[in-house]
Amino acid sequence: MNLALPNPLLHPIQHLKARINTFWMSRLKPRDSFTLTQRTVYILPTKPGWMLGVTLLVLLIASINYQLNLGYVLTFLLAGCAVVGMHVCHGTLRGLTLHLSPPEPTFAGSAANVLVHLHSERRAPRYGIGLATLGSQEWSWTDVPGQGSARVHLSFHPEQRGLHPLPALTAETQFPLGTFRVWTVWRPAASLLVYPAAESRPPPLPPGTPSAGGVQAAQRRSSGEFDGVRAYQRGDPLKAVVWKKVAKAGQLVSRDTQQAQRFELWLDLNHTGAFAGSAGTLEQRLSRLCAWVLAAGKQDVRFGLRLGGQEIAPDQGEAHQRACLTALALYAGA
Amino acid sequence: MHFSERLSHLPRDTRDTLFLLCVIAWVVMPQTTHLPLWCSGMTALVLLWRGWIAVKGRPLPSRWWLLLWLAVASVATFGEHRTLMGRDAGVTFLVVLLALKTLEMRARRDAFVVFFLGFFTLLSNFFFSQSLLTAAAMVVGLLGLLTALVNHHMPVGRPPLMQAARTAGWMTLLGAPIMVVLFVLFPRVAPLWGLPGDAMGGRSGLSGSMQVGSLASLALDSSVAMRIRFEGAPPPQNELYFRGPVLSNFDGRDWKPSRAPLSARLQAAGTLRLSGPPVAYVVTLAGNNHPWLPVLDATPEAPTLAGYSVSRGPELQWAADRPMPELVRFKANSYTSFRYGPEVRVPALQDFVNLPAGFNPRTLQWAEEIRANPNTARADTATLVALVMERLRTGGYRYTLEPGVYGNHTADEFWFDRKEGFCEHIASSFVLLMRALDVPARVVTGYQGGELNAVDGIWTVRQSDAHAWTEVWMAGQGWVRVDPTSAVAPARTGSLARLLPPRSAIAQALGRISPGFEINLRALWEATNNRWNQWVLNYSQARQLDMLRNLGFDTPSWEDLSYLLLGAIIAASLVGAAWTQWERLRQDPWLRLLHAADRKLRRAGMLLQEPATPRQLAAALQTHAEQMQPQDLARAQRWLQQLEAWRYAPAAPNSPPARAALGTLQREFRQLRWPPNRPPHPPTP
Repeated sequence: MNLALPNPLLHPIQHLKARINTFWMSRLKPRDSFTLTQRTVYILPTKPGWMLGVTLLVLLIASINYQLNLGYVLTFLLAGCAVVGMHVCHGTLRGLTLHLSPPEPTFAGSAANVLVHLHSERRAPRYGIGLATLGSQEWSWTDVPGQGSARVHLSFHPEQRGLHPLPALTAETQFPLGTFRVWTVWRPAASLLVYPAAESRPPPLPPGTPSAGGVQAAQRRSSGEFDGVRAYQRGDPLKAVVWKKVAKAGQLVSRDTQQAQRFELWLDLNHTGAFAGSAGTLEQRLSRLCAWVLAAGKQDVRFGLRLGGQEIAPDQGEAHQRACLTALALYAGA
Repeated sequence: MHFSERLSHLPRDTRDTLFLLCVIAWVVMPQTTHLPLWCSGMTALVLLWRGWIAVKGRPLPSRWWLLLWLAVASVATFGEHRTLMGRDAGVTFLVVLLALKTLEMRARRDAFVVFFLGFFTLLSNFFFSQSLLTAAAMVVGLLGLLTALVNHHMPVGRPPLMQAARTAGWMTLLGAPIMVVLFVLFPRVAPLWGLPGDAMGGRSGLSGSMQVGSLASLALDSSVAMRIRFEGAPPPQNELYFRGPVLSNFDGRDWKPSRAPLSARLQAAGTLRLSGPPVAYVVTLAGNNHPWLPVLDATPEAPTLAGYSVSRGPELQWAADRPMPELVRFKANSYTSFRYGPEVRVPALQDFVNLPAGFNPRTLQWAEEIRANPNTARADTATLVALVMERLRTGGYRYTLEPGVYGNHTADEFWFDRKEGFCEHIASSFVLLMRALDVPARVVTGYQGGELNAVDGIWTVRQSDAHAWTEVWMAGQGWVRVDPTSAVAPARTGSLARLLPPRSAIAQALGRISPGFEINLRALWEATNNRWNQWVLNYSQARQLDMLRNLGFDTPSWEDLSYLLLGAIIAASLVGAAWTQWERLRQDPWLRLLHAADRKLRRAGMLLQEPATPRQLAAALQTHAEQMQPQDLARAQRWLQQLEAWRYAPAAPNSPPARAALGTLQREFRQLRWPPNRPPHPPTP
């Protein structure tokens, strides 16, 4: 967790807070399965907790001043309940096991979903447990049945592409009286792969280029017969268009022959076209490539990817697409 | 749709709000009789309004409305109590505030304010009653508030209220021991600042003066005035005269204590001569904010009463140095056979024949006639008393709770017109006639009689046993008790018979079916109530110090109590810490075995996932096979397989019991050989 620390001279308190936070975080060992124990569960009174304390004090003074023995009984019973409530509150988290399902890669700026399993060994159910990423206030609440499990979906919005450690998570409960806040902080070990954000309105896919190997493949099946028709794709030669069908269907239809595949599509970081007149930043270009990879995948086009010196041979299918996106996510620059 | 069905289909918010409103109504209900009418009405209205808002899903009223209501309530409270401070005004205001706050439950903070105001309102009930019933009702109220609070912290779905109630119940049960320890050990101290003056009001009992008609209302009050446990045989019922204030000064309307100088009063007191064996007993006196200790006639020595200094007045009346607002217990020794007062007519006795001018002319006239009558002109006091008593017995006089309102000439009205009255009318009229006959006489107030509880042998004296009798001075004898009421209604002083207010239909039916049952039930209730008073309401600093003495402290002080309390808290914390430690160590035996094996492999330098399963351990062993003897490897892997099977494979029908199998695994684990220790491999790049 390498947080940018505030300037120690300008913001001494914030700096100190950040330092303490960093120190706390570094003490936590990242792991994907986390059983909460006495050492990892923290407890502090909440504001209503302090209010209850003041209430008890006033009740006690009233009992003393009016010499009400039943007033003492009420005050002490309430105090006893608060003490028991504190233990119940702490026990709600203590002994709970949290598992993390490995998160699916996501695109920068869109929501990343993390699935957390909560498992309880004890017989009594655990109520009112909230999970959130540390620092956010978007709590997801759940109850965990006795000797059972519950699942909680958490989402957050990664801003930058790359392979990021998951943000620290926190689990909290104020059950049963709300007078104490019991919480834990959990650093998951899993990492999250974040693809670049796909450009929202990318230009059409660039035209394919004839490939050396493709000619031979075409010669082997030189009959000119075609296997069927499919929707027109950018890069199909005009003679592949079945004009009769176009007239009927109202859209461009191509002969689906090996012929078309001789033209191979290369998506290249250095040939991404213009961005509002300029050449575009690296992120903008990666973002366009990402959109193209997705578009190509949708259209079942074979394509290859060139990122500076890195090259992924043309292929198609989900695995290929994922490899390309991963390369985009991890590309560190030329 | 059926009502209960509709209730169970309410949205969660609505249901929770309605429940909280019911709890608030329950908490406020017992004190409505003590609240001003407008306050009860406004509270009911606001709660109903809030309920309607919840059911119909309307928006809450704006802040301005609330402020307006609050202002109205403040003005009304001020108008009622002439202040906004103090107990009664405070309670009135608190109840209104609680009701109004329900109209403002917008945020989490508001809900908490409602809960905490609810706790204050619970306490305020105890200003008016600390009876067993009130306590039970307030426990229900507390459970209700806690249930609402717990429910408030179950954010998921629509949990049944029973679930929250169960949690609240458990918490209360577990909190009860803490409460008991704190209650027993928390040092009882005097009020931190002067006991507010309003703490004195509103409780009935004997008063220091007697106005004709004021005791009739007392007789209807069957609340307990005191309880007595006799250490030996109790005296007969007609000797149970518990002496309260003695009233010698009559102004035509009110009887008041003597205002003569102390020397004159001492002269009129003479000496106390006792005979016969003493009666020893312990009295538990309900707090009545009066200083008097009603003891049996006559008590020569000061009753032992902790925390107060007790002194005897010239009229044999024992009193503490200040009013007693709470239950007290004292021990006394009394001699029911005694003589008291000067034997000769000393000048001070002249005070006891004073009559205000202009009152009761017909009574004076009658006294003149008796004096003029040759048969009675020279009669001694005893004869005169017997004469008047005979008149009371045979003259058509009646004992009643409802004598009506008397005019200025109370004695005239009693003797000649109405011929009916309660003990105070009879006593007052009797004393006035005696004084008119030049016989020194005075009124004594107190309690007469009592009721024996067969369950615990304790006598109960109620406010309805409040009585007024007379003392007449006789030459050679001193002050002699004369109870004119016994002439009108012999049963009043002789047995259990009392004038009772009409009983309810249920009580009548119960009495008709089984009179014994009703008496037993009542006796049981009385005994329970007595215990309650003794152990809860009368638990004072004296009791605490007694307890310490029993624990072996020689000279206990409240500091000792504090130390004891501190010790108990520390002990509880230590036990709690030990328990958490134990809980941490107490692991599933299976997991413990797995962790032990896991540690062995880690020490041997194997990199493992955390937590590793037995299968993963076995696989890790396989990758380090070259470090082990083949047979050791095979045994360790078989052991790991069995470990896995113990947990996850269904037990075969004829396998040994699971625990025994785990025991075998534990034994085998000790015999296994593991790869040697070594530092972990550097991670491969």
